[in-house]
Amino acid sequence: MSMETLLEVKDLHVHFPTPDGVVKAVDGLSFSVRRRETFGIVGESGSGKSVTNLTALGLIDRKAARVSGEVLFKGRDLLSLSKEELRRVRGKELAMIFQDPFACLHPFYRVGDQIVEAILCHDNVSKRQAEQRAIDLLGAVGIPRPQDRFRDYPHQYSGGMRQRAMIAMALSHNPDLLIADEPTTALDVTVQAQILELIDRIKNEFNVGVILITHDLGVVADVAQSVMVMYAGRAVELGTRDEVFENPQHPYTWGLLESIPHIDQKGSRLIPIEGSPPSLIHVPPGCSFHPRCPHRFEPCDKEVPALVDRGSGHLDACHLSVEDKERIWNEREARRTKAVS
Amino acid sequence: MSSTAPAPRVTSPKTSGEPLVAVEGLTKYFPITKGIVLQKEVARVHAVEDVTFSVFPGETLGLVGESGCGKSTTARLLLKLLPATRGRIFFEGEDITGHSRRQMRPLRREMQMIFQDPYASLNPRQTVGQIIGAPFRIHKTEGEVKKRVQELMDRVGLNPEHYNRYAHEFSGGQRQRIGVARALALRPKLIVCDEPVSALDVSIQAQILNLLEDLQDEFKLTYIFISHDLGVVRHIADRIAVMYLGRVVEIARADELYEDPKHPYTSALLSAVPKGHGKGSVANRIVLEGDVPSPIDPPSGCPFHPRCPKARQVGGPEDGLPQNCVHEMPPLGDVAPNHVAACWYPLKKDESLQRAAHA
Repeated sequence: MSMETLLEVKDLHVHFPTPDGVVKAVDGLSFSVRRRETFGIVGESGSGKSVTNLTALGLIDRKAARVSGEVLFKGRDLLSLSKEELRRVRGKELAMIFQDPFACLHPFYRVGDQIVEAILCHDNVSKRQAEQRAIDLLGAVGIPRPQDRFRDYPHQYSGGMRQRAMIAMALSHNPDLLIADEPTTALDVTVQAQILELIDRIKNEFNVGVILITHDLGVVADVAQSVMVMYAGRAVELGTRDEVFENPQHPYTWGLLESIPHIDQKGSRLIPIEGSPPSLIHVPPGCSFHPRCPHRFEPCDKEVPALVDRGSGHLDACHLSVEDKERIWNEREARRTKAVS
Repeated sequence: MSSTAPAPRVTSPKTSGEPLVAVEGLTKYFPITKGIVLQKEVARVHAVEDVTFSVFPGETLGLVGESGCGKSTTARLLLKLLPATRGRIFFEGEDITGHSRRQMRPLRREMQMIFQDPYASLNPRQTVGQIIGAPFRIHKTEGEVKKRVQELMDRVGLNPEHYNRYAHEFSGGQRQRIGVARALALRPKLIVCDEPVSALDVSIQAQILNLLEDLQDEFKLTYIFISHDLGVVRHIADRIAVMYLGRVVEIARADELYEDPKHPYTSALLSAVPKGHGKGSVANRIVLEGDVPSPIDPPSGCPFHPRCPKARQVGGPEDGLPQNCVHEMPPLGDVAPNHVAACWYPLKKDESLQRAAHA
């Protein structure tokens, strides 16, 4: 199995100057994504997960934003490419699926024609060949009777089918990397299960790396191999799925895991994270999570904790020592099990 | 087609006795019309079909289902915000189906609602004080409104000094607290919560859920809690009603429903939820094929039969689907003590459904 690194983000900053101050949407972010891997990015609204990927795709207005750092895609820095060069990469080697499949398809054009248009954008093939490929793709993503549904308009598709059509379009050039921004948030659970299964399948069939952006920890736990937890524009924890979920290291990750009601566990009292996420204009000094963190101590409001590898590729950004964290996590776990019984 | 089903007698774990609210055979069709002056009904959306359930004082009834299954419409019918096509609604034993607006007015104090979107459900041109104080003014209650509003704000975790602020000055979670305070103002008996935490971030969700639980204990509230998030519903509900295409397909105590679902749809719905354990449970899911059918032309017989993995197992590969599933609506009948399901072939405990074959 090839595990080459597809995308490497190094010290990315995206700041938006506004009349009220500078919005630090992404503030020093580094991570990498490999082929055939699903890389999950979790965080609440405003944590910078979408801006990161829009920047990588060159979809951020560079006049409105101050961007620094590197986004290396197969060795090339996407941030240094010209508009024209980027256009040749985007949609071909780098594809994206958006959250709302209702807003992403043009209502006046047939679904098939929209996929054909995407194919003709980058490939010099005849219209007939493009049509055939579009039909094959619709079949590959699980649309029944693709020859007939090819001629349908988007309103004749259900939400799940539209998202399948969007995935077909994204796959039309055999991309290397697929960025899925909340691909199942607008869908019902039973349809969400179908789409997640599809994304998992195409990862191997089309040999792509997938970045899955979501606020739903459950979705990430199900399909991702690596997980990055973001808070206020920074990564607070990064590691393999098993490491992050079985052995979480950052108090914010603890809070997230504890505040979610579980479906296979009767309701003990939830332990919410106090307060609310900070404004990105006035990010708290030091660790941006410290005002909400029950375990804060001296250095937390002064120094920004670095993202440190604690071994086996599991990184976290917290001032607490490994021993303290283990003790606190065990205490919290004991409190939780006590609450359940 | 469907005769009135016998009222399911599922007693509450918390209390028995008289239900606070009960609906019987509740049905709502929305007409689809053609023509401008002479409107002709060409079809109808079967939004809610023959729904029967009761809610007992002090309990939380969860109403779950996918979008378009009729859970919000059911709640609106129950509060008489929409007229029902058929069926009867009882509040504290009194039949309120035919009540006029004026007759309803005193009852409105007893039943309130919390809405999903804290951005759309608060008037942007009113201060928090005006928003939370509106119920007092409408119902002409005595006493000083400002003081009572500030007490309420304090109770739901808002700073009472923010009395003169506007809704846009608050975060999503705080706005939802304003909505809760407004619903609580007249000390109602029943609060219908329509997806109250769906628009909030996960760390805020837990705060609001805890608040709702505290208020329930303090003010002896009864909740009807509508949500598509099965984790949230399990957490908060005592009993749960599962809806599919306008019909209630199963009602049971929360634990029992999650541990021992009887209706194949419930089972599939539960297995579709990402478990969040880091175990990668994709493989052992029952992934349903296809989408929910259109409520304009619902399937004959059991509405779930075209997607039902159990019906396919019973029918076997040659015989096709069982006749009764295709032609007859199964009644909502007892499958276990205090557990009703509308299925001809309810699941046994720990029976695993095979994944439906690719159509």
